[in-house]
Amino acid sequence: MGWFNLLNVQPRIIMGESVRVPIEIESDIVVARRKGREVSVQVGLSGSDPTLVATAISEISRNILVYAQRGEIVITQLREWNRSGILVVARDSGPGIRNVDLAMQDGYSTGKSLGLGLPGAKRLMDEFTIESTVGTGTTITMKKWARVVW
Amino acid sequence: MVAILKQGAVLVVCVQSALNDRDLIELKDDLSDRVGRFRSRGVVIDISALDIVDSFAARTLRDISHMTRLRGAITFVVGIVPDVAFAMVELGLTLDGVDTALDLEDGLVQLAERAATNNNG
Amino acid sequence: MGLNNFPEASAYLRLEDEDVDRRKMFVNLQSEDLLHIAVIKDVVGAHANELADEFFEFLSTLPETSLLFQEYGQLDEVKRLKRAHILAMVAGKYDREYVEQRVRLGLIYGKAGVAVRAFLGAFCRLMTSIGSLIAEFFHDDPRETFTHFASLEKLAFFDIGIICDVLIETRERVIAIEHTVTPVLQVRDSLLILPIVGVIDSLRAKQLTDTLLRAIRENRAKVVIIDITGVAAVDSRVANHIIQTVAASRLMGARVIVTGLSADVAQSIVTLGIDLGALHTVGDLEGGLEEAERLLGYTMIRSSSSSIER
Repeated sequence: MGWFNLLNVQPRIIMGESVRVPIEIESDIVVARRKGREVSVQVGLSGSDPTLVATAISEISRNILVYAQRGEIVITQLREWNRSGILVVARDSGPGIRNVDLAMQDGYSTGKSLGLGLPGAKRLMDEFTIESTVGTGTTITMKKWARVVW
Repeated sequence: MVAILKQGAVLVVCVQSALNDRDLIELKDDLSDRVGRFRSRGVVIDISALDIVDSFAARTLRDISHMTRLRGAITFVVGIVPDVAFAMVELGLTLDGVDTALDLEDGLVQLAERAATNNNG
Repeated sequence: MGLNNFPEASAYLRLEDEDVDRRKMFVNLQSEDLLHIAVIKDVVGAHANELADEFFEFLSTLPETSLLFQEYGQLDEVKRLKRAHILAMVAGKYDREYVEQRVRLGLIYGKAGVAVRAFLGAFCRLMTSIGSLIAEFFHDDPRETFTHFASLEKLAFFDIGIICDVLIETRERVIAIEHTVTPVLQVRDSLLILPIVGVIDSLRAKQLTDTLLRAIRENRAKVVIIDITGVAAVDSRVANHIIQTVAASRLMGARVIVTGLSADVAQSIVTLGIDLGALHTVGDLEGGLEEAERLLGYTMIRSSSSSIER
């Protein structure tokens, strides 16, 4: 679609059922990613996509535990005119990320495991945004869409 | 949780569910102890029951296999299924330095071959 | 940007004069109809803005067309397009250029994934509104209203025919791409070959990796040869896809040999900063096969006329 001019017009996205998973202890990570996998399948994600979503949720949840001690994951079903998808919002009131750009830098070519798992999670999802304020907290919003259905 | 089975000089570690920090320490200690006690020549870590391998799990696997190798046991990680392999690679978790095989059967065969080569080499 | 960078309309629909004539024949558009349309031209033209606004208003409320408005730089541009379309409908000149404009409109809808039923609904409402205008113009005389409306209706179906054909063509191309299956060949026990031909974008790369990993599992393959001789453009992105595939295959216990990567291309990729060191590359497929067999424990003695397995 390179020859279209993109603008910040909000697409008509309908939000469906939501599930909230508090992240406070390690076993919550497993709950969150299981829910993520469940909802992924519900919205029609197929192939390896449910695993990718669950893995991204796992990374983000672990970050919450490690850096903020507590937070939440909210998983919502999405519906656009011709496709459905999954929305995952991860929130915490932790210390925040001082340099988001740095945190999002790709270190994967070195083969080492990623510090914050953020660039990795971004690669696993279709859409990924992160808002963070030092001293206030962090919100990560990610989406994955099922293939276009005519 | 984890089940550790002894098959001659080989230890088979079946990881049945996601491991947390505590489980990990326990596993490492337990495995280290057994490899030493039984003088195991090989270890196969079967993670086919894991539906997700994230960066924590990958680091765990690497740590464990390094530890067992240091204690003299050839170590293979097996049971990574296509979806998990795909996700791992997207995250940059390539398990460099860790030997891998398709599944338990394949891992045992490779161990035997490797052991034979070592004996002849 | 906007409407000027269009793929060739003719790549989607035949636009020769005879094709245009044939389309007119289908709806039975006659010179008589052109006269009728000329009569109502001004009445429709005077309301073109309202009609366009109404059409636009309806479409903008639909989730089925959200992408259309998301993609456009200015919502005004869409309105202008629609207004131009309505004026052109009654302008009386329905030649190749007219058809080309319709095709472009169809492509906008197609690329934005507008559902056919949504488009048809909007068009139907437009025609109903125009019908009312025509009735008013002829003071509700049923005969005159019908005669003139019917002529315009033929043109409406002419338009719909073009746009629907474009939508169908666009959709078929999308489906065709999705269904391109790359076979993974099992050469012998534990050895697979994945010959890749054509263009590799991220979607295809993902499909190929998926196919290969499942094949490794099913065939219990120990060695895989990925042959990229037929890949159209090997750049750093393609190289990364291959590196990813190799890494994923290794996690499943399979070693990968990449064949068909010319020294020149390899050099240029390395210059771009991609580390190809981890890749086991061999010049050509045959060499790759020999290497694979060596890895698997076979040794081949090749003579000019036969191969003897040792």
